[in-house]
Amino acid sequence: MTPKRSIFEAPRIGQMSMATKIVLYSLLLIWSAFVLFPIYWLIITSFKDAADVNQGPFFIPFVDYQPTLHAWKELFVNDYEDTLRAYFNSIVISLSATALSVLIGSMAAYALSRVSYAPNLITILYFIALLALTVLAVTIYQVDWRLASAVAIAMFFFLARAVGNLYQFQLHNGDILFWIISQRILAPIVVVVPIYIMFQSVGLLDTHIAIIITYAVVNMPIVVWLMYDFFNSIPRDLEESAQLDGATMIGTFREIVLPLSRTGLAATTLLVMILSWNEYLLALFLSTSKAQTMPILVAAMNAGERGILWWTMSVAIIVMIIPVVVLAIFLQKYISKGLLVGAVKG
Amino acid sequence: MTAPIAETTGTAKSISIRNFNKYYGGFHALKDLSIEVKAGEFLVLLGPSGCGKSTALRMIAGLESISSGALLIGDRDVTEVLPKYRDIAMVFQSYALYPHKTVAENIGFPLKVAKTPAAEMEAAVRAAADQVELGEHLDRFPGQLSGGQRQRVALARAIIRRPSVFLMDEPLSNLDAKLRGNMRAELKHMQGELGITTIYVTHDQIEAMTLAHRVAIMKDGVLQQLGTPKEVYSDPANLFVAGFMGSPPMNFVTGALANEVFTSGSIQFPLLSTPNTASATLGFRPEDCQITAPGTGFLDADVFTVEMTGDQVLVTLRMDGTPLVVKMPKEFEIEAGAKAGITLDPKHLYVFDTDTGARVRRG
Repeated sequence: MTPKRSIFEAPRIGQMSMATKIVLYSLLLIWSAFVLFPIYWLIITSFKDAADVNQGPFFIPFVDYQPTLHAWKELFVNDYEDTLRAYFNSIVISLSATALSVLIGSMAAYALSRVSYAPNLITILYFIALLALTVLAVTIYQVDWRLASAVAIAMFFFLARAVGNLYQFQLHNGDILFWIISQRILAPIVVVVPIYIMFQSVGLLDTHIAIIITYAVVNMPIVVWLMYDFFNSIPRDLEESAQLDGATMIGTFREIVLPLSRTGLAATTLLVMILSWNEYLLALFLSTSKAQTMPILVAAMNAGERGILWWTMSVAIIVMIIPVVVLAIFLQKYISKGLLVGAVKG
Repeated sequence: MTAPIAETTGTAKSISIRNFNKYYGGFHALKDLSIEVKAGEFLVLLGPSGCGKSTALRMIAGLESISSGALLIGDRDVTEVLPKYRDIAMVFQSYALYPHKTVAENIGFPLKVAKTPAAEMEAAVRAAADQVELGEHLDRFPGQLSGGQRQRVALARAIIRRPSVFLMDEPLSNLDAKLRGNMRAELKHMQGELGITTIYVTHDQIEAMTLAHRVAIMKDGVLQQLGTPKEVYSDPANLFVAGFMGSPPMNFVTGALANEVFTSGSIQFPLLSTPNTASATLGFRPEDCQITAPGTGFLDADVFTVEMTGDQVLVTLRMDGTPLVVKMPKEFEIEAGAKAGITLDPKHLYVFDTDTGARVRRG
């Protein structure tokens, strides 16, 4: 017998009446169709040629039209160099950018969640001012950069104490966290020109490095924000207990914190990976040919002299979706698993 | 009756807390705490929440820095030593079990990080688990255990390494009342058997009374009294200790004391050889007084409630709004609303200075 549910609990499928079930399943079916139809359309379009697309719409292969491998051939035989390069670029860039931002971002999040920082606001402003002055001195007045930095560092330490003691307004972890997140509030389009000029001046345009660094920085706030919350949910007692049990700091991190944050790390990794995989705007500015990623390749297909190549575009989109789907399937068991059950009292 | 401090097994060490101070920014959380804990002793830090007892314990553990003062374990100064080099084990209020490790892995964790050989570790884990009767649950995860079992895992993890010092931060407060009583007895037995110096933090005075060799009562970061359970109960140093120890707590009547006469409202009561006190508080314990017919005791009051607890009857009376509790034998009967007198042997009367809290007359 099924136990009577409390009034605060959502009803389970098995406990519903037939009518409710029919309504529920029809709604789910409609929604599934709504979500899955574009993917179905993508797949069948990839097996059409120009005539099938233009004279359509044709819905069912072999019935409405005769499928052809024409588009697949074009992308993987005729243009295979461009396709594979973009594919390879996308994989390298999104994997590296994800690894970099998750690694650095989660370290920052862990530190913010466990260590109390109290930097002096004046000291920070003063540091920024000195940095700006140093850059000005080197670029405009042609001062030797070694001399300029040495003077700036010396002045920083000399004045930091004096100025720092005058104004005691301190920032705290919450302020630092908000500052990091605020970097993401800014729309990337605003900074795309400075970023372009910056990489241009160091000669890194159209390279993997430039896009990896940019993606890592752009996604870092998301990692810090998600992981900060996640680390906060791990009771400090666990780490303190491990320390008392004789574990080193690294040991505590490896034995306790890392296994417990697997869920959060998996979710964050997946999110950042998808964001980098699909990113278009920054890649458009930072790459011209060698470092082109899949979104750029796909977008380029609607700007050809032959009009929009729906069929090849469909092929490109399908191969672009596959890695993300595989990754999501691989990581979802970590995401759905609630590992923290029983950490504290129950 | 508390058992005498066990013969030390060689691993037990004394703890010397010297002038502990803790500041959080401008807040002075712990004020000049000094306690000498003997090797093998069971010391309880007792006080209401926010009194600094947990802070003191965490300072001993090394989880909080010592703002000023010194800590010696045995002869070694560990004031600046990292927690893992202090040779202590701690049981947390939350138990702090590692949720992703099995019971065996939890218990064996201190040995694992010490790189103990596998065979030796397994034997030790089994021995520790058997000692807390967890031998059958070694491959379970903490989430699958009951509260009492989790508590035992935490204990086993603490004893497996045979540390010089045990620290316990309200280890029983998450258990239900019955289990708490059982675990209390087991804890006491185990501590006596192992003879490991133990510092135990609680806000529950029954735990403190039953477990401790000595109790340190704290309030607002200041040590109020340090003594055996009997001493702090029958010889409280001040108003706070008198009111904190005992259940139900001591009755208080405020008034003034002049020329060996205590006056409070309509009451006048001679108290021989007691110094004059402008604002005095009279104290007496519920079990030291009896109810008599109105007008025959040293004061009269109205019966407010009568509570039968099984082995006794608790009668709460009101005198001009002041509640007074009297413990009577279980056969005693009286109606709420009746008038009654309270009588007691004057030797059980305590007098405190209301303003300073200091005791001016011993009961």
